[in-house]
Amino acid sequence: MTIDVGRPEEGNGAALASFLAAGIGAFATGAIVLLNEAGLFVSPTLYEPAGGVSGRTTLAALIWLIAWAVLHNRWKHRQVESRRVYAITLMLIGIGVLFCFPPVWKLV
Amino acid sequence: MDTMLFTGRSIWTMIHGIVLGGGALMALAAALFSLYAMRSATASDVTSQNQARYLAQLMVLTAVLLWLTVLIGTYINFPPYRATPPEGLTDLARYPRSLIRSSPGTEWLHSFAMETKEHVPWIAAMLATAVAAVSVRYRSQLLSDRPLNSMAMTLVSICLVLVSFASILGVFVNKVAPLE
Repeated sequence: MTIDVGRPEEGNGAALASFLAAGIGAFATGAIVLLNEAGLFVSPTLYEPAGGVSGRTTLAALIWLIAWAVLHNRWKHRQVESRRVYAITLMLIGIGVLFCFPPVWKLV
Repeated sequence: MDTMLFTGRSIWTMIHGIVLGGGALMALAAALFSLYAMRSATASDVTSQNQARYLAQLMVLTAVLLWLTVLIGTYINFPPYRATPPEGLTDLARYPRSLIRSSPGTEWLHSFAMETKEHVPWIAAMLATAVAAVSVRYRSQLLSDRPLNSMAMTLVSICLVLVSFASILGVFVNKVAPLE
């Protein structure tokens, strides 16, 4: 019987790349929204009926995917110190989510 | 005379909010429970391998449901919500954003609820995808490696909170100004 055990011989690099990229994507989402609300950056509208949200979210998703690809290529065979990456990931997610809340926009 | 029970727009709203969003919420809760209940010190036995496989399938399903929810929400449900009514129209029932903004008592449903809903679920979809990718690549290591397991649980928890919050805001908006 064959058991699929994933890739246990690998380091944790690919996992951390995936988590950190999600944090970067979350931060990018929030930052784009906040910059848009502050009038400092307007992302192009990709689908007119949906308005600016189509451009903002697509741009954030692109940043997330690019960050993931870059980090994955650099870390996929490595054992990376996880505690700091986890902390940075959670911080980026927290800031990103916070920036998406309208009451925060009024502070800018 | 035949009357339509549901319009196309209301059916898409139900697909977005109940089928996909509700499905994602249930899958997230199940994934969170699985990550906690199935973690073990050894990853080599057959039971752990099977559990890891089911968890990976569940996380992939969750990520797919969330992406479908945000894409349908953004590109199918949102356009009719934000449509501008013709000049002078007094019955705004078919223009939810304008209807909500026409009253000070409901204005927050757009300025806070919908504005939040436009972006936060995208973050949830990214987080769920990250955990899904790790669960597929690492399989049982996700259950036996305690730091990895804890981080996955944290991200799924954040995801569950964000999706729950967006869902309840969606319910409020739809209660006051449904897409019909």
